[in-house]
Amino acid sequence: MSRRLAALGGCLTLVLLLAAAMPATVLGAGPLAADAAQAPVVSVSLWQAALIAIGYYLANSCWLFGVAYFTLYRPLVAGFIVGCILGQPAEGTLIGAAINVPYLGFISAGGSLPVDPSLPGWIGTTIALAGHMSPASAIAIAVPIGLLGTILFYGRMAVDPIFAHWADARAEAADIRGVALMNWLPPQIFLFIISFVPVFLLALNGPTAVQNVLNQLPVWATNGLIIAGGILPAIGIALTMRFIFRGASIPYFFIGFILWTTMNNPATSSDDSRVLITIAVLGVALAWLHLTFAPAAAAKVEPASEPAPSLATETSPTPPTSGTSGTSPVTADAERVRVTRGDLLKSWVLWTFFSQANYNYERLQGTGFAHAMTPIITRLYSSPDEIRAALQRHLVFFNTEPNFGNVVHGAVIAMEEQRANGAPIDDDSINAVKSGLMGPLAGIGDSISQGAITPILLALGIGLAGGTASIAIGSGSSGIPSVSNATGNPIGAIVYAILISAVIISIGYVAWTQGYRRGRSVVIDLLKSGTIDRVLVGAGVLGNLVLGALAARFVVAYLGPTVTVAGASLNLQAGLLDPVFAGLLPLAIVLGTWLMIKRISPLWLVLAYLVFSMVASYPFFGPDHTTSGDPAAQYQVCTSALLHPYYPCGAPPVATPAP
Amino acid sequence: MSLRLVRIDDRLIHGQVIAVWLRALGGKRIVIVDDATARDEFLREVLTLAAPHGVQVEVHDVAAGAVRLMELAPSPEPVMVLARSPRTILALRQAGVPIEVVDLGGMGAGPGRKRIHRTISVSPDEIRDLQAIEKLGTRVEIQIVADDRPIPFHSVVSGE
Repeated sequence: MSRRLAALGGCLTLVLLLAAAMPATVLGAGPLAADAAQAPVVSVSLWQAALIAIGYYLANSCWLFGVAYFTLYRPLVAGFIVGCILGQPAEGTLIGAAINVPYLGFISAGGSLPVDPSLPGWIGTTIALAGHMSPASAIAIAVPIGLLGTILFYGRMAVDPIFAHWADARAEAADIRGVALMNWLPPQIFLFIISFVPVFLLALNGPTAVQNVLNQLPVWATNGLIIAGGILPAIGIALTMRFIFRGASIPYFFIGFILWTTMNNPATSSDDSRVLITIAVLGVALAWLHLTFAPAAAAKVEPASEPAPSLATETSPTPPTSGTSGTSPVTADAERVRVTRGDLLKSWVLWTFFSQANYNYERLQGTGFAHAMTPIITRLYSSPDEIRAALQRHLVFFNTEPNFGNVVHGAVIAMEEQRANGAPIDDDSINAVKSGLMGPLAGIGDSISQGAITPILLALGIGLAGGTASIAIGSGSSGIPSVSNATGNPIGAIVYAILISAVIISIGYVAWTQGYRRGRSVVIDLLKSGTIDRVLVGAGVLGNLVLGALAARFVVAYLGPTVTVAGASLNLQAGLLDPVFAGLLPLAIVLGTWLMIKRISPLWLVLAYLVFSMVASYPFFGPDHTTSGDPAAQYQVCTSALLHPYYPCGAPPVATPAP
Repeated sequence: MSLRLVRIDDRLIHGQVIAVWLRALGGKRIVIVDDATARDEFLREVLTLAAPHGVQVEVHDVAAGAVRLMELAPSPEPVMVLARSPRTILALRQAGVPIEVVDLGGMGAGPGRKRIHRTISVSPDEIRDLQAIEKLGTRVEIQIVADDRPIPFHSVVSGE
C-alpha cells in the first residue's frame, strides 16, 4: 500500500514539475499571479542545488558516525543546513522546524518506512525558502514530497541485496577486505546516484515550479494550504502520543497544552523559545517529582518474580561469555590470541559508521555485522578456512537497534575470542546469541531511542528554533503570511544535533564494551535494574509536557463562519470558542487524530487532511471572490469558509462586512 | 476471537512488534510458542523482561502452548501470539487452536530460503507448511507492520 501511495506522490511531484515547465498563459494566469509576484522566487544556483543534493545523500548515507539518521535526516537539522546553503540560516531552521512537526512520531523499524521525513526536510525547505513561503504552507508542500522519498528508500532496499551476494562471493574467497568493501562501496555509490540526481533537479527547478503552480491558485486554495499546515502537525503529535500518551503521564500533556496557551502572548511571539525552555524546565522538575512520589510506576516486578530466583546472572548456563577472565584453560596463556582494546574500538567504529551502509530487504544489517567483525576476524583467525567460516557466519540476516543492540556485538566478540582459543563454542551458540538477543534489544532500543529520546529532544529543538509557525499576519496588502515576519533561531537545530549525537553515541559505546566485558548477561542486569523503566517513565512526563506545548503551538485552526444571531453578527471563533478556551479546536483536532491514528494509516490521514483543508477553505458560506486581491474580498473569503488560516481574519475593511 | 495477531517472526519480540504492532493492537499479553526458546532459560528471561511495562510475556513449547492458547482464545482479552516457524503454527492449528489469520511478519533470508516479499523469505518446506495451514481454513497473510496492507500468501506463492 505504501508503495502505491509512494507512486502517487511521485506522480504528483512530476505533475507539479510539468506544470511549471508550461508557459503561464497555458494555465490561464490570473491577476493573482501578478499579485503573488510581490515576492519573487529566489533562484537556486547550480552549486547550491548540488550542495543540497549532497546533503540529502549524506542524510541517508553512512558517513556521519551513525547519527545521520538522528540529525541530517530530520527536517529540523536539514532546514538549518539548507538555510545555510541559501544564506538564510534562521529562516531555514524555522521552516525545517515546522516541517519536522508532522514527523515527530516517526519510527522506522526493521526495514519498514511509514513515511520519509528526509526529502520533505531538504526539498521542502528549499522550495519554501526560495519562494518566501510561510512555514505553514511549507508543511503542506513538503509532506506530499515525502511520498517520493519512500520510493527512493524502497528502491534501495530492493537493489541492495545484490551487494550482499557480492559480499558472499568475497567471503567464499576468504577475502576479509573484500567483504568490508562490498558492504559500503557499491551500495553507497548506488545510493549517491539515486539520491543526488532527483534531489539536484528538484532543488534546482522545484522552487519555480511550485511557485508557478501556487500562483495559479485562487485565494481560498492558498488559504487551504496554510490551513493544512496548521492541522498536519496533529499527525506527528498523535504518532508520538501513541508512545508516550499513556497511563499516569496523560495529564502532563494537557498541562503542557494549557501552559503554552496561557504563557504565550501573541504580542511577543519572539519569546516562543523562552516559553518552551520554561516548560521544559518545569517538565524536568515534574518528572523528578513523579518518579519520587509515584513509586509504583518506577518499579517493575511483574514477570521477573516468577522465574527461578537462584538464576545468578553471572553464571550463564551455556558457554561462558566473560571475555576478560581466562575461563577456558584450553590454550596456554602465552599462546592465547587476544582481541586488543584497539580491535574492539575499531570494530565498534566500523559498526557505528557502516551498520546500515548496505541496508537491504534480504539481510537488513547482515553485511554491516560482517564488516564490523573484520578487525576481530583478522586478529583471531589466520587460516583461510577459519576466515571463510567466520565471514560466512556473520554475513547472515541480522537486525537490531544499532545502539542498544551493540551488546550483541560485544558478547559475540567475546565468544569468538574464546572459540579462537579452543573453547567448545560452535556456530549454533554464536547464532543463538545473535538471533536471540537482536530482537528483544531492538524492541527496547527502538522504544527508547526512536520512541522517546528522539521525539523529546526534537520537540525541544523545534521549540528553541523559535518563531511562530502559522501566524504572521499582515505582511503587506495580500494578507498572506510571510516568513519575513517570523523569526527563527538556528540554535534549536544545533543544540538538538549535539545532544542527540552525544546520547546515541554514548549508548552505543557503553552497550558495546559492556557486552564484551560481561557477556549477554548484561542484558538481564539492565532489564532487571528498572533503570530503563525509570528513564521511560521520566521521559514520558517530560515528553508529554513538551508535546502538549508543541501541540498548542503548531496545531492551528480557526472556525471561519460569522453567523447572524438575532440581528447581531457573531463570529464563531471569536464569539463562541475563544471565551470558552482559545485552544479548543486545536486540542480537539489533536485528540481526534490520536483516536484515528490507531485505525488509519498516517499516510492516508495526510492525504485526507490535505483534501479536507482545501474543502474547509472553500468559501461555501459567501460569495466567491477568487480573483481580487483587495482587502474586502480577502476578508469575505476568509470568513465565509469553514476554517480560516489566520486570526483574526484580517481587520474588517468596513465596519460591518456584508453578511 | 482474542488471538488478535498470530505472527511468524524469526526475531520474535523486536522493534516492529513492540513499537508498532503492540501499540496498534493495544494488547497486554504476548504468548511466544517455540520449542527451542522454551528450553533456553536465558532467552526466556530476556524475552519476558523485554516487553514494555504492563505487558505479560509467556514462553511455551508447542505442546504447552496449544493448551494455553485454547484456554486464552475464548476470553475477550486481546493476545498476540509469536512463533518462529510455520511448522509451529501448523502444529497449533492441528491441535485445534482457533486461528483465523496467520501473519508472516519477519522471515529473514538464509540458506534454502527464497525471498518472496520485502523482508519475507521462505523455504520449500515452509511453503508446504503454510499451504497446509491454508488448507485447514486459516488465512495466511504477509503484513510486516500494522500500516501495511495485508497480502494473501497464496497470491505471492502460487502453484508449487
